[in-house]
Amino acid sequence: MNPRDRLRSAGRLLTDPAEALAQQVTERVVDLLLSALDVNELAARIDLNAMLRRVDINVILTKVDLNALLDQVDVNTFLSRVDMNAVVARVDVKPLLDRVDVNDLVARVDMDALVSRTDLGAVIARSSGGMGTEALDAVRSQAVGADQFVDRWVQRLLRRGRPAPSAPSALLPAQAEP
Amino acid sequence: MTAHPVPVSYQGHYAGSVSRFAAFAIDLAVSSGVFSLALAAISYGVHVVTGHSVSWNQASPVVAVLFVLWEFTYFGYSWAVSGRTFGMAALGIRVVGADGSVLEPRRGIVRALVFPLSFLLCGLGFLGILVQREHRALHDLIAGTAVVYAWDARAARLRFLARQPGLARSATPPNGLSE
Repeated sequence: MNPRDRLRSAGRLLTDPAEALAQQVTERVVDLLLSALDVNELAARIDLNAMLRRVDINVILTKVDLNALLDQVDVNTFLSRVDMNAVVARVDVKPLLDRVDVNDLVARVDMDALVSRTDLGAVIARSSGGMGTEALDAVRSQAVGADQFVDRWVQRLLRRGRPAPSAPSALLPAQAEP
Repeated sequence: MTAHPVPVSYQGHYAGSVSRFAAFAIDLAVSSGVFSLALAAISYGVHVVTGHSVSWNQASPVVAVLFVLWEFTYFGYSWAVSGRTFGMAALGIRVVGADGSVLEPRRGIVRALVFPLSFLLCGLGFLGILVQREHRALHDLIAGTAVVYAWDARAARLRFLARQPGLARSATPPNGLSE
């Protein structure tokens, strides 16, 4: 046997028990320390803000596979636990509605399609008079058509370059609305 | 969802010559009719009370003055109170301030007072309705007024569509209701 190997095995006979002993001592010391320590007091002393400032969240986020995380979430179970009434009750709808441009919303609605596809047409027909209203609408429409026809010819004859204002200044916003 | 042409309402736009002339024609017919009826009623009343029959000579200065006073009352009162006469209401137009504001009663009366000027200048005062950029006649310029459409073409279009549900998708609305 190599004298060096012999020396090593003799050393191991000494170090192995010492290592085991050291481990036991360490565990015991840690137990004693933990039982002696007030963890709450320790946590209170930690400056979490300072600690968090040192954490680079972006690096952590880049390592997170959000898709995989979301795949693991059962949204239905989550939603079934949510008391939607309580959530809705906490929502202040007024500032939300203040941010909605109702005029713009209404302008986007295709009223023609709405009237033709729903019972709204019948409601309008029932509520908006009969032959009198129909006759007035027809007369007014014809008059507007004739107005425009005459105006076009006059503008052509006068050879005006600049278009004339369509409405008085105070009524300009109103005309954009309908 | 907005594939259809957007219906244009002319509400607030300057009213054109045809609408205004038609409204005036209706007003003239109505006011003259009411005036004739009033004269007939007075004649009948006098006949019933006194037994004498009264006949009104249309060419008489008294009748002419009464007629002018009545016309001034008819137009002046209508414009001062609501900014529109019966004929204007029928054609869906109304008188507003030059800037589009609601007509002040004072301006309505001034408009009625200077209205005859447009006639007295051989009708040249009305030329403004055709050629002036804001379609304002002489009496409009003096009184600081303008005439605008006051009816809702969009509502009219909806009524038109509502009346003919079978044709709603393909029908062409009355002239002037869409562009």
